[in-house]
Amino acid sequence: MKNSSPLGMILALTVTAVVIGAILAGFYQLVEPRIEANRLAEEKRAIFSVLEGAETYDVIEREVPSDKKGGEIIRIFRGLDADGRTVGYAFIAEGPGFAGIIRMMVGLNFDLETLSGLKVMEQVETPGLGNKIGEEKFEGQFKGVAIRPRIEYLKNKKPVKPNQIQAITGATISSKAVVDAINKRVETILSVLGPQAAAGEG
Amino acid sequence: MMDKTRQVGEESKAGARGSTPGGSGDGPLIVSSSPHLLTADNIPKIMHSVVAALLPACAVSIYFFGIRALLLIAVSVAACIATERAIQRFLGKPSTIADGSAIITGILLALTLPPSFPLLGAVLGSVFAIAIGKHIFGGLGYNIFNPALLGRAFLQAAYPVLITTWVEPFTRGFDVDAIAAATPLALMKFEGQMTPHLDLLFGNISGSLGETSAVAIIIGGLYLRYKGYINWKLPLGYLGSMAFFGGIFWLMNPSRYPDPLFHVLAGGAMLGAWFMVTDMVTSPTTPKGQWIFAIAAGAIAVIIRLFGGLPEGVMYSILLLNSVVPLINRWTRPKVFGEVSS
Amino acid sequence: MTSQRTLFQEFKKGIWAENPVIKMLLGMCPALAVTNSAVNGLAMGLASTFVVICSSAIVSIIRRFVPGGVRIPTYIIIIAGFVTLADLFLRAYFPVISKALGPYVPLIVVNCMIMGRAEFFASKHPVVPSILDALGTGTGFVWVLVVLGSIREILGSGSIFGVTLLSERIYTPWVVMILPAGAFLSLGLLIALINYLTQRRQGAH
Repeated sequence: MKNSSPLGMILALTVTAVVIGAILAGFYQLVEPRIEANRLAEEKRAIFSVLEGAETYDVIEREVPSDKKGGEIIRIFRGLDADGRTVGYAFIAEGPGFAGIIRMMVGLNFDLETLSGLKVMEQVETPGLGNKIGEEKFEGQFKGVAIRPRIEYLKNKKPVKPNQIQAITGATISSKAVVDAINKRVETILSVLGPQAAAGEG
Repeated sequence: MMDKTRQVGEESKAGARGSTPGGSGDGPLIVSSSPHLLTADNIPKIMHSVVAALLPACAVSIYFFGIRALLLIAVSVAACIATERAIQRFLGKPSTIADGSAIITGILLALTLPPSFPLLGAVLGSVFAIAIGKHIFGGLGYNIFNPALLGRAFLQAAYPVLITTWVEPFTRGFDVDAIAAATPLALMKFEGQMTPHLDLLFGNISGSLGETSAVAIIIGGLYLRYKGYINWKLPLGYLGSMAFFGGIFWLMNPSRYPDPLFHVLAGGAMLGAWFMVTDMVTSPTTPKGQWIFAIAAGAIAVIIRLFGGLPEGVMYSILLLNSVVPLINRWTRPKVFGEVSS
Repeated sequence: MTSQRTLFQEFKKGIWAENPVIKMLLGMCPALAVTNSAVNGLAMGLASTFVVICSSAIVSIIRRFVPGGVRIPTYIIIIAGFVTLADLFLRAYFPVISKALGPYVPLIVVNCMIMGRAEFFASKHPVVPSILDALGTGTGFVWVLVVLGSIREILGSGSIFGVTLLSERIYTPWVVMILPAGAFLSLGLLIALINYLTQRRQGAH
């Protein structure tokens, strides 16, 4: 190793950083399309899993008022069957869970009365307890659940009303987080879709 | 409590600190918290008294929960003894089964479990309690944590659902899926319901085997106190602290927080106060330290109960304080040899 | 560390005698954090191995040109570069694993094992021994992570590499094993077992 002169040190660090930076930039260009494709593929899978009978979908973008400045752009995926009729709407809902953000795809039937499905896309809940929100047994309960007046959860009891689901034993917080996030999002979505559906588009 | 002990009565003086821990251990450097007067011939005597003191609680649990309770206790005790024997044979150490400490660990562990808990799970908890809770640290007298509570903590983490599945008293049979009940503490925390004090006192409530009847445990505890094997500062400090801190919140908002009597009668408070806080190996040796230990543990238990995610905080409060016992001993070391005041 | 060692010895020592996890207790963070399943352990191990080999090679090549005063920052830039490469690669080609490992892939940067090989070995040795040294260290890292991940996955989920071994009907998984506490328990017991075996073998000689 050479003696450390300030110029030598600056030179060594600069050269290393530039070379590494150039390599990274090149590699990023190479793989970026694939990463984006992965993201889209996952989104697509989730949309079709919550909208039964949908063959294709299109995207509705709307700006809605939100806590953030200038509002928020929400994306609603309208599922269409083979004849081009609307089967339902899918949208992303997210909210804080027990250990981190829960992000999920929610399907809403075209009548805007019941959910058509739920797919949890991202969650870091406790393994063995909270992470059961990602299991079919829990997600499946949301198929056909009524959204009015709002979705409710029960503990250790089988649901009796159409707007109820059963919380996971020992993971009430995670279950509540899912229900809360959906309820909150459904309201926004209805405010966007309401007039449209009333206009007979469904 | 006397889960295991190398010390005779509780009033052993601080002057004994610094004597070779355990005596028989010839390890080079052992950091251990308790004084260890070597009166081995007394250990079986103490242990048998403790077993006797636990019998009322066992009997009541069998009365309320039937054969399941009996099986749980029997299986836990057998598993603790077997683990102790296996480890000592493996390490080539002399057997200490006769001293009865493994039996007590087994009974205490069983008393902290719900009646519907699977027997294999109880075996797992027992193995963990004896192997990791006790022998990893060097065996009886060297352990930092109460072995039974450590086994219970492991089971809590391993089977979070099973260990919070309760049944109503007088539920017989083995199919527990159909009947889920809530403990008084869970009712208080999640539903805002209070359980009558008399039910708490006599045990006609759902809960783990040993946390149903406060009266049965008090009888056992008083018997041990009468025999002189329990240091009164520890249970008094623990229960008093729970009542005091619980009482503060109760006075602030009686409709939201339970009263002090509820705190000391519900859940594992009695069992913890009489049989776990008093563990000679894992509690401080100085009188001042014992007060600090008991009061701090009681405060933490109340905080967990009222503001934590879990309905019950006795187990973690004691384990938490177990871990700082060496520090407490150091802070409260008297300046002169012998005890300054009692 | 002497020049007398053969190249094979440079490779071999990292697997057992100077194993980063069980002997030197380096790289504890990933070893504890991501080994909740065998496949996560394997992926983390391979990603770290890739980074340690590449960074050791580059550090060894430039060891004569880097002034002593900035060698650590230089190493960190190099390591961070390769970590980012590995992260992008996983995200592009193994999105599921990338998601499971979460923030722990970028955190390979601060794995002391990698810095350790760069500072203590690669900066003083030619390229070929440096690569072999890194390869051995990486191999040692991989096998420990896979073993840990397997133990925790079998006990905590009743499966291995995602294949169910024990059905939930006969075996209730110990949730604790896939939680952080299970990581500490398994690693502690694994190191205890290995120390016991080592001592017994030394005693027998």
